[in-house]
Amino acid sequence: MGFKNVPMSVAKPSVNKESLFSPELRAEIDKWIAKYPQEWRQSAVMAALMLVQEENGGYLTTDLMDKVAAYLDMAPIAVYEVASFYSMYELKPVGKHKICVCTNVSCMINGSDQIVEYLEKKLGAKLGQSSADGRYTLKEVECLGACGGAPMFQIGNKYYENLTPELIDSILAGLE
Amino acid sequence: MNVLRDYIKSLFLLELMRGLALTGRYLFKKKFTVQYPEEKAPISPRFRGLHAQRRYASGEERCIACKLCEATCPALAITIEAEPRADGSRRTTRYDIDLFKCIFCGYCQESCPVDAIVETRLYEYHFENREDAIMTKEKLLAMGDKFEQQLAADIAAQSQYR
Amino acid sequence: MSDDQMVTIQVDGRELKAKAGTLLIEVTDAAGINIPRFCYHKKLSIAANCRMCLVEVAKVPKPLPACATPVNEGMQVYTRSPLALAAQKGTMEFLLINHPLDCPICDQGGECELQDIALGYGNDASRFVEGKRVVPDRDIGPLIATDFTRCIHCTRCVRFGAEIAGIRELGATGRGEHMEIGTYIEKSVDSELSGNIIDICPVGSLTSKPFLYSARAWELVQRKSIAPHDSVGSSLNLHVRRNQVMRVHPRDNEAVNECWISDRDRFSYEGLYSADRLTRPLVKKSGNWVETDWQEALEAVAQGLKRARGTSGNRLGALLSPGATLEEFYLAQKLMRGLGSENIDFRLRQSDFRAEEPAYPWLGQTIAQLDELNAALLIGSNIRKEQPILGHRLRKAALTGAQISFINPLELELNYHATQLVNSPAGMISDLAAVAKALGGYGGLIDSAEVSDVHHRLAEQLRTAERATVLLGNIAVAHPDYALIQGLARIIAGNSGSLLGYLPEAANSVGGRLAGALPGNDGSNAQEMLSNPHKGYLLMGVEPGFDCWNPARAMETLGQAEFVAALSAFRSQSLEQVADVILPIAAFAETSGTYVNAQGEWQSFSGAVAPAGESRPAWKVLRVLGNLLDLPGFDQVSSEEILAEARQVAGDRKPDNSADGGVAYERLLAGVGLTRIGDVPIYALDPLVRRAASLQKTRDAIEASSRINAREAAMAGLADGDKVVVKQDKNSAKLRVVIDPTVPDGCVRIPAGLVGTDTLGGQIGDVTLEKA
Repeated sequence: MGFKNVPMSVAKPSVNKESLFSPELRAEIDKWIAKYPQEWRQSAVMAALMLVQEENGGYLTTDLMDKVAAYLDMAPIAVYEVASFYSMYELKPVGKHKICVCTNVSCMINGSDQIVEYLEKKLGAKLGQSSADGRYTLKEVECLGACGGAPMFQIGNKYYENLTPELIDSILAGLE
Repeated sequence: MNVLRDYIKSLFLLELMRGLALTGRYLFKKKFTVQYPEEKAPISPRFRGLHAQRRYASGEERCIACKLCEATCPALAITIEAEPRADGSRRTTRYDIDLFKCIFCGYCQESCPVDAIVETRLYEYHFENREDAIMTKEKLLAMGDKFEQQLAADIAAQSQYR
Repeated sequence: MSDDQMVTIQVDGRELKAKAGTLLIEVTDAAGINIPRFCYHKKLSIAANCRMCLVEVAKVPKPLPACATPVNEGMQVYTRSPLALAAQKGTMEFLLINHPLDCPICDQGGECELQDIALGYGNDASRFVEGKRVVPDRDIGPLIATDFTRCIHCTRCVRFGAEIAGIRELGATGRGEHMEIGTYIEKSVDSELSGNIIDICPVGSLTSKPFLYSARAWELVQRKSIAPHDSVGSSLNLHVRRNQVMRVHPRDNEAVNECWISDRDRFSYEGLYSADRLTRPLVKKSGNWVETDWQEALEAVAQGLKRARGTSGNRLGALLSPGATLEEFYLAQKLMRGLGSENIDFRLRQSDFRAEEPAYPWLGQTIAQLDELNAALLIGSNIRKEQPILGHRLRKAALTGAQISFINPLELELNYHATQLVNSPAGMISDLAAVAKALGGYGGLIDSAEVSDVHHRLAEQLRTAERATVLLGNIAVAHPDYALIQGLARIIAGNSGSLLGYLPEAANSVGGRLAGALPGNDGSNAQEMLSNPHKGYLLMGVEPGFDCWNPARAMETLGQAEFVAALSAFRSQSLEQVADVILPIAAFAETSGTYVNAQGEWQSFSGAVAPAGESRPAWKVLRVLGNLLDLPGFDQVSSEEILAEARQVAGDRKPDNSADGGVAYERLLAGVGLTRIGDVPIYALDPLVRRAASLQKTRDAIEASSRINAREAAMAGLADGDKVVVKQDKNSAKLRVVIDPTVPDGCVRIPAGLVGTDTLGGQIGDVTLEKA
């Protein structure tokens, strides 16, 4: 949402930013902040959330999002908006491997429904749930831009395309 | 010619005879008269008698205080006040129909989105005090409870025309 | 193409002229061509996310949103062509997919933009057979009821929060069908302008909680009025049913309140129907209050005033509420002067009257001019809470680059970037002197001031700005050294080429002066009247425990009077303690009258409902009192007649802030020990708003407490939640300690106008805290 008046920032910037995150994490986030003009430091929110999520074992809490907001001088609600919009941010704890299955139109035409069904049966978890051992989390996502290889899913930061049940078996077997 | 014809007519009391013939015919015909109050005429399911407010089967009153009946009433006979009930639902705190004003047009029934305000088949009632002419919410709900079966059947019968 | 070039476009065959680059919907709106819309709002940024305003433009293959399409030379627009209609109908169908069919229980029913447009563009039946979306309701405070299932995601409320209220409290979380408007975490919406989101919401997602389910739009009769609280005098529409004010809406007035009003103006009507509304005259008979009829009560007042007056009018005094109408002020002063008394005042929250005050103090500029300021210095003002609409205007200026700075005894929670110099009340004077010195001022305490960088910066900001202003707020008025503040402000404004302005406290602080409700020659002002007991008092709209600078002394002084007559719309404990007769008067919305707002605009209004019970408009009461006292010139039959008379007396006085003020005054506030800062919270301003139940449940309605910062608390050995005994002069109160980082060192914030602090002394003064 583009607002006139540039009020993405808050009137009263947080003063002790040092206490918010560890020095390493701050250095990482600062790298991203440096890529944008100073008055648009909020643009680094996505990268910051990603880094914070990674550090927290794959998911975000309200408290962490508040810290990101304070660090970037944003209103907390603006951070919640970003974090709840994108599917790569998790707001609840997830399994070690997050399987993000695309169910948008190209994948759906090429049988993503069967892929979902197979995964649900294999892992014993519905979409949005984690397997009983907590190893896998199954997630439905919007188009990941790999329509050429539909149906597809993403685990970690790797895309797996042209999926079949057999292929899925071997992919999951190959994971740590 | 006309003068002559009129003279003969009046001379032989022809018009009187014709009238008496009609009377005579009806004297021996089957009678229409209903012996009210021993007998009662049949009533249409669309009859617009005294008002009632209905409840759901659960006992919850139907009226949601949307005030459409109040707005549509051409005689301004309905007065409603409402506020949120403790459970957060929208309900009336006052629902009065002034029967002195009411013209029994049935618009209230027509406008009600939840079939709460209805008109029963009851047309025999009287008031002993002026204030009895105000149908309060309690009276209306009591009417509804009394005639619920009949009202539900009437509404079901009419549903195909609505 | 330059921006101000005029272009000609054709809309539905009509030729329209407009500035190049104007948005199409603005042009059609101005020409009265209706294009349906939900997300577009003239005061908010363009989102173009509802897609309802799609129109066909020649040579463009797809329909374009009128709200986001700038006009060009020769553009041909069709708002009702088959393509445009198909697009609008399609949008409508999508919008209705998830909108519940609960119009009968929705408060917006009958005044709903979605309902209206669905009538024109909707289908009679839905083709959508899948389940509808349900969103749980959120509690976002005592003023606004939510039903987010009805939301059509126009994001007007979100943009309002970001752009107008200045705090992003609401947001759109989630994506696609899962998008929800809300605060995400359980949290209330606390802006002082929050009620406006009820107006801008095109559906019934955000509705008024106090008004919830109580009436329908078609039952309400709209009557014009003027807001009775702050000196903005916002234009209002009162919505009345069966002789009762059901709700209050803003009336568009670009020069004053644009299309917004503050929550205080919107929800204070609840106070009219509070349980302690006075409906019959009360007379104290052997210590007990007895209801009586007007005849007896009026005679009691006339007799009482006559007896107290004796041979000299100087034994009487009149204390009037600054929220009274001009007509009431005029008649009250006429009555007092008729009785030979010059002791008349409405400046109840001012303690320092040493300075010569300007004849007709005002804002110094029009309200709309605040938008265009380049720099402003506010002295002793919490403008956001004191005059919320002016605060919004100032924020607009700040967002376009104005340098706003504050010299205050409290750190304010602002919604824009500003320089805040927070210092104790005594320190404020030093800061002001330093700024004056930096601007080349001299004399008195200025010479000894120490100028630091920040003072130089403030001085520079004011001096270099093209349009700059220095404004004096309510905390400054309550300052024991107000004379010095005025003198310093005058020097700062004069030496920096800024306009000096006053931010009048109440609805008619300006009108009171025009009506002559000020002490005349040798007359006593409010402070003198309340410290030296007079024989008789006339109070109008005043609750002495809450509306005076020093409530404890006011109560004591009034208690010693022989006779106190009060005109009041409400029963009030503090009034019943001191008064002998209380006459019930009409409150806001029940009387006709005139308010003069901060920009010197006379705004007359008429009564919208009949006065409650047997109460009568105060001007009628005063007129009859005039008759009973055999005074000449009390035979007006309408408030218009009084207005005409008052206008004649006021003549063509123009607003004028000039006065001979110096800084040759002694400093009364030493500020050695702990200083009390007794600001008046936003919802404690006047008797009406103090009785508005919903406003009193908001976060801004702070309770009586003694608020100190963590350093002071540590030094005094106090912790949050401790009970302390606050001692001021010879008065004391037991209050809870709240740790408040906005309070400067050496100070304790004990708000005035609240139950619990009404036993204390002056709003600003020395206090001591003792752990209870």
